[in-house]
Amino acid sequence: MNTKIIKSNNKKYLTIFIVISAVGIDILISLLMGYWSYSWLPIQASEAANYVDNLFAFETTIGTFIFLGCTGTMAWILIFNRAPKYDESNGQPLEGNVKLEVIWTIIPLILVLAIATYATKVNYKLENLGSKTKYNFGQEAPFIEEKKPFDFGPIDVISRQWNWEFIYPNGIHSSELHLPVNKRINFRLITDDVIHSFYIPAFRLKQDIIPGSVITYSLTPTRKGVFRLRDAMFSGAYFSQNQTNVIVESEDVFNKWINETVKKELQNGLNPAGRLYDKRLKNGNRGWATVEPAPAPKVQDVGLEDRPHDG
Amino acid sequence: MLSDNESPTINHIPGHVKHDGHNMTGFIIFLCSESIIFFAFFVGYGILKVTAPVWYPEGIDGIAVKEPLINTVILVSSSFVIYFAEKSLHKKNLWGFRFIWFITMLMGSYFVYGQYIEWSELSFSLQSGVFGGMFYLLTGFHGLHVITGILLMGLMLYRSFLPNNYKGGEMGVESVSLFWHFVDVIWIILFVLIYLWQ
Amino acid sequence: MTIINYDQRLVTSKNPYPKGPNDWKRFFSFNTDAKVIGIQYIVTALFFLLLGGLLGMLVRGELITPPSDLFDPTVYNGLYTMHGTVMLFLFLFPMLSGLTNLLVPPMIGAPDMAFPKLNALAFWLVPVFSIILLLSFFVPGGPASSGWWSYPPISIQNPLGKMINGEMLWITAISLSGISSIMGAVNFVTTIIRMRAPGMGFFKMPIFIWTVLAAQLLQLLGLPALTGGAIMLFFDLSFGTSFFRIEGGGDPVLFQHFFWFYSHPAVYVMVLPVFGIFSELFPVYARKPLFGYKFVAVASFGITILSLVVWVHHMFYTGTPMWMRNLFMFTTMLIAVPTGVKVFAWIATLWGGNLRLSTPMLFCLGGLFNFIFGGITGVMLATVPVDIHVGNTYFVVAHFHYIIFNTIAFGIFAGIYHWFPKFTGRMFYEGLGKVHFALTFVGATLNWLPLHWAGLLGMPRRVASYDPEFAIWNVIASIGAFILGVASIPFILNMVSSWVRGKAAPPNPWKAIGLEWLLPSPPPHENFEDDIPTVLNEPYCYGLDKPFVQDEQFYIDKSFKKH
Repeated sequence: MNTKIIKSNNKKYLTIFIVISAVGIDILISLLMGYWSYSWLPIQASEAANYVDNLFAFETTIGTFIFLGCTGTMAWILIFNRAPKYDESNGQPLEGNVKLEVIWTIIPLILVLAIATYATKVNYKLENLGSKTKYNFGQEAPFIEEKKPFDFGPIDVISRQWNWEFIYPNGIHSSELHLPVNKRINFRLITDDVIHSFYIPAFRLKQDIIPGSVITYSLTPTRKGVFRLRDAMFSGAYFSQNQTNVIVESEDVFNKWINETVKKELQNGLNPAGRLYDKRLKNGNRGWATVEPAPAPKVQDVGLEDRPHDG
Repeated sequence: MLSDNESPTINHIPGHVKHDGHNMTGFIIFLCSESIIFFAFFVGYGILKVTAPVWYPEGIDGIAVKEPLINTVILVSSSFVIYFAEKSLHKKNLWGFRFIWFITMLMGSYFVYGQYIEWSELSFSLQSGVFGGMFYLLTGFHGLHVITGILLMGLMLYRSFLPNNYKGGEMGVESVSLFWHFVDVIWIILFVLIYLWQ
Repeated sequence: MTIINYDQRLVTSKNPYPKGPNDWKRFFSFNTDAKVIGIQYIVTALFFLLLGGLLGMLVRGELITPPSDLFDPTVYNGLYTMHGTVMLFLFLFPMLSGLTNLLVPPMIGAPDMAFPKLNALAFWLVPVFSIILLLSFFVPGGPASSGWWSYPPISIQNPLGKMINGEMLWITAISLSGISSIMGAVNFVTTIIRMRAPGMGFFKMPIFIWTVLAAQLLQLLGLPALTGGAIMLFFDLSFGTSFFRIEGGGDPVLFQHFFWFYSHPAVYVMVLPVFGIFSELFPVYARKPLFGYKFVAVASFGITILSLVVWVHHMFYTGTPMWMRNLFMFTTMLIAVPTGVKVFAWIATLWGGNLRLSTPMLFCLGGLFNFIFGGITGVMLATVPVDIHVGNTYFVVAHFHYIIFNTIAFGIFAGIYHWFPKFTGRMFYEGLGKVHFALTFVGATLNWLPLHWAGLLGMPRRVASYDPEFAIWNVIASIGAFILGVASIPFILNMVSSWVRGKAAPPNPWKAIGLEWLLPSPPPHENFEDDIPTVLNEPYCYGLDKPFVQDEQFYIDKSFKKH
């Protein structure tokens, strides 16, 4: 009798020990994954990046915990609950447990609400998107004043099939986007044809550019360097060529660039799609149909197509 | 749904499920689904009307309401007429049913004719901007439903001359009548959206 | 003895539909038997899985190196568009219609579907729109190449200006596919609501039936919105209207609303029956009752309702106002709750079971494993700030392939293996099945796990060429894709040789509970024919000493008799 109690007590302690150590290991790995998750993302180069990465790390931690919890349980079952060959008997006939069901309804509910609340706060903190104003396409895109404060701008971002053009307040046309570091910069996003997306991975920011609308947008670069700007909304044949560079510089270098570039002559800017299309025409125009690429923009700063980039 | 009173003994009766018994259920499910297409168009209409920078095509600042209103009255009242047709069939008054049913068909046909007249007198086309497209899409898609309804009514009228056709029930007539009410309700919403909300 | 407990609808009448030929020819005829139609659907779908897989491998072949060197980028765009379209509309939807056709009537004790002719018509539309879609490879200018989203204005640019073009054929095919799906949905819902066996109340239905009902209601509610959008897109493309064309004041974003209002729930239309398959198979192979049957059943409808109000999460960066983004983030997050209920219930079903790791169970376990992963990345994508970074990158591609292939296709394979003996009357080869599983799991993991990192680093989706820093992830992914291609060989071998010369299958090889397992293998033309069983309990009472139907032994004996 006595030994039985001790035995069952021993088993109970063993179970508790296993559960606690499993949860402990799960927490440890989850925290580690959360910590590692920062290294999966590009360099942090804007104000938004830190917030996004923290949120992502938070989600990675919680996600890893749940994933390992579930799959660890599955692994345990696979190891210890396999039926021997020719054994076709039934398992424990558990039909359900309302208490457990309520628990695993409520806990995920609280978790996702917590994540969503956190994300909402980040949204209000960043507030990159200004306004979206429709206009009669074919007319000049109207000038929309940004109500929120900013330090520099607005820079017109003009996207086309398939090149980018940036027009600065003082009239500079450029193929690359030069920005001063640590200043909140305002943009007017405009497209001449289809939907494009203004996506700079190092900034963790993306905004679609909708035909027939002017979208105002603000962001703050926080790190000097060269970053890729990629069109992220499929825009046709040479979509993958629709990329350029963002060059974030100190204010002095930026001002110098502004002052020198404004004096330069206009010439053809970056237009890799046009070059590829010419090659295709030369080779007999094989392939499926595409619209013709827009001509290269006339710019003062042509930029460099294969500029080494930091992110 | 099935009755839950189960008796402990089992009765094995030879027989098959009679397939025809589910037509009405299926038809109602289909109509609910069909109404979502119209709903999508209506929502699209509303959104475009509120947000489009240009709404009416150049040279137009609205459309006439008077003739469509007459059309509307005729279509809506045909919904009441078809109800009486169905009622006379219930009362086994086959000739009464045929007559009133035929009147409904005439009213529907007048509506289509009225639509045709309206279309031919309009000064804008399908390609005239977003309003032109929406106007012809909505009225045209609804008109197709009206024509379908009239054809279905014709089929039912024809079937009423087959001997003993309505002995087993009036599923077909009920379905067509339901379809006609559906077409009517859609038109009322459409009329409010296009003609009254200018 | 009175006959009051019998359903009024089960009246004596001659079967109004002729049985048709009973040999292989029936699979090529306008046959109205749901079981024949089911097999027609499944075989057609598997053929298109091969085709879609081939297109996918071509896409991965292009992406194995950074520059666009294998094809012209226009060809690449057409290939990936057709890969997505074939996989969704020619493989997944027909495949699930097929499984639904096979399983619904036997599982609820009905002789056939409610509208057998409509059912056959819905199937025969599949070859029609498939041919229309595939013809688009041969029209001038090539097939549609604006992605399966077909967003305007890119989709209505029509570079050659011809009336018949790839995009036009694409819209036609998709609309026909929608009509076919609506026909199927009307049929399935009517059948489930009206033709259940006596005693089978809603809370005695198999979970698969619950999930089919939830999924098909979603089709009925959502699909017409896409049809509406497709009609308008067709007019814009072919008749010069301007619903989505900015030149006439239209709004391209409106199409995105129409599209996602259906196409997000469409994922649930596909995943719900797979949840049903998981819920059917785990109890069988773990020899345990399904944990929390009622919660699992109701959770299906929780998913249905929520999935109708989440579509804007595909448009977090299209200029959607802040309040709307936050609102849809919350609704999207909430879907994790009913889904979590299901996942936890499955794990609890496995817990303490007596697991048999046969091929169907392996696919189920693999599918569940992948689904937990894909679900978690789904929650990440639902949060606005993270989505703004990873949206439209390979992270999304990886996430949805984790759902659509690593979960849904795994569940489909599990279902095919599990019910193969029932509907063909032959056993499959377990060894080949396990090889198929191993290759599929390794290939799928290699293919889509690495792409998460490519996306996190900022590689946009749908690109024909990319910066060299993404090369490593893409090389691994391409190798995985080719392994997946190899995985189809043991599967095809297994299916064909088992069907032709496999061992004859007993009525209930897995010792499973369920009405379909009380039928002979393969079931006769009208399933239970004149003896429809009266259901007493839900079909998951393993080890519970609760009878499943009245006179169970009668049906078991009958199922062994040759027909």
